[in-house]
Amino acid sequence: MQNQNDTVKDDAELAASISAEQWGCCSVEEPSFQDDEAAKVPYVGDKEPMSSLSAEYQAGSPILLEKIKVLDSQYVAIRRTRGDGNCFFRSFMFSYLEHILESQDGAEVDRIKVNVEKCRKNLQNLGYTDFTFEDFFALFLEQLDDILQGGEESISYDELVNRSRDQSVSDYSKLLLNFFDNLYSTECGFDRFLCLSVVMFFRFVTAGEIKTRAEFFEPFITGLSNTTVDQFCKTSVEPMGEESDHIHITALSDALGVAIRVVYLDRSSCDTGGGVTVNHHDFVPVGSGTNEKEEASSAAPFITLLYRPGHYDILYPKVLENVEK
Amino acid sequence: MSSSGAPSHKALSKIACKRLQKELVEWQMNPPTGFKHKVNDNLQRWIIEVIGAPGTLYANETYQLQVDFPEHYPMESPQVIFLLPAPLHPHIYSNGHICLDILYDSWSPAMTVSSICISILSMLSSSTEKQRPTDNDRYVQNCKNGRSPKETRWWFHDDKV
Repeated sequence: MQNQNDTVKDDAELAASISAEQWGCCSVEEPSFQDDEAAKVPYVGDKEPMSSLSAEYQAGSPILLEKIKVLDSQYVAIRRTRGDGNCFFRSFMFSYLEHILESQDGAEVDRIKVNVEKCRKNLQNLGYTDFTFEDFFALFLEQLDDILQGGEESISYDELVNRSRDQSVSDYSKLLLNFFDNLYSTECGFDRFLCLSVVMFFRFVTAGEIKTRAEFFEPFITGLSNTTVDQFCKTSVEPMGEESDHIHITALSDALGVAIRVVYLDRSSCDTGGGVTVNHHDFVPVGSGTNEKEEASSAAPFITLLYRPGHYDILYPKVLENVEK
Repeated sequence: MSSSGAPSHKALSKIACKRLQKELVEWQMNPPTGFKHKVNDNLQRWIIEVIGAPGTLYANETYQLQVDFPEHYPMESPQVIFLLPAPLHPHIYSNGHICLDILYDSWSPAMTVSSICISILSMLSSSTEKQRPTDNDRYVQNCKNGRSPKETRWWFHDDKV
């Protein structure tokens, strides 16, 4: 029941205005949550300086403020995402596509496409009906192609600009951001559908990976929620708006072969003698990389997310200093 | 009989249309046991006959489900209700509304009309007594204005039935 407030609720206000009561089989418990706060944040926000993070905690715990100072020395910016339960997948999507847009790394796109095909086979082998997932796969692959061509030739570049409202933007991530914003916010339902579809694509990929390697994930799942692997996927992975944790991140990272760094900002004390440090964990994909390219494991992940209990945002490392740790 | 099942639809999106056509073909080739889709030319509203499974409280009883698809199906869940009279069941209200998580918060595009039907039949089959939900009268009274069950904040806590 943990995620009552996290479903895709465009209709949250609607539901609230109609009735604050809850009905169910069949008793009324707990007051209903409101995610007014969530609705104020855009799906993907602008890049903000790290100072905007400390501003949030001015009256907060000293440990958090100390940790933010550490983050400030390692990262240049934060990009917030809406806390509607899809924030991990959306942060991952934005971060990954932004990386492709900036790097124009065709080899990476070819590589991930191979993994996407494996995911498709997995779902088929697991007995998913093709038509339930094929459109989502097609849409993700299309976006990859669009974005890969985006920076190369003027034609495709213009196409990308045309999808954004501000024709004058020059900086890539601004471009991508507008691209995303429009996909989400346009009146035209098809576009909104298209972007939510990429989140759904990741959910399919995640569920497929968990079920395919059920024996690996089972102990984590029973430890976390005391349900079966299938039930977990059905209730905590596949529905939009269900929050993600380590299990989802591990599965997505493994399935796509993309490393993800998660930096934890919480109250846990990590005083190692030399002052406060901030924990992070690198989700390094297993399976695919061992005998192919070693570089995946040695380089720092190009996706860095900031985790605060219940929420993920995107972080941007300082490039020049090559922060180790 | 028209009960509360007339949500003000927008037409199906292209994607929804395509998806439903595929679901219809799949249904025709491989219909779930115990269900009969009463074919009409309305892709956006399916009327499905349910026959209670043998050996259960609802054996040989026939009910009708009305499935209405929103513009952005399958990103958004369909509205599924029983046409009246609705089966007597602890999770089915007398106005036909069904308290089942996959129809609301736990809906996912990975599901299909078929898989919904199977879940509903299994919900019926596992019932041990024919009775209405304890808050039936109050809930039904609250829905008098024709509100859709999708606008309800459901609270699911009974996973036995």
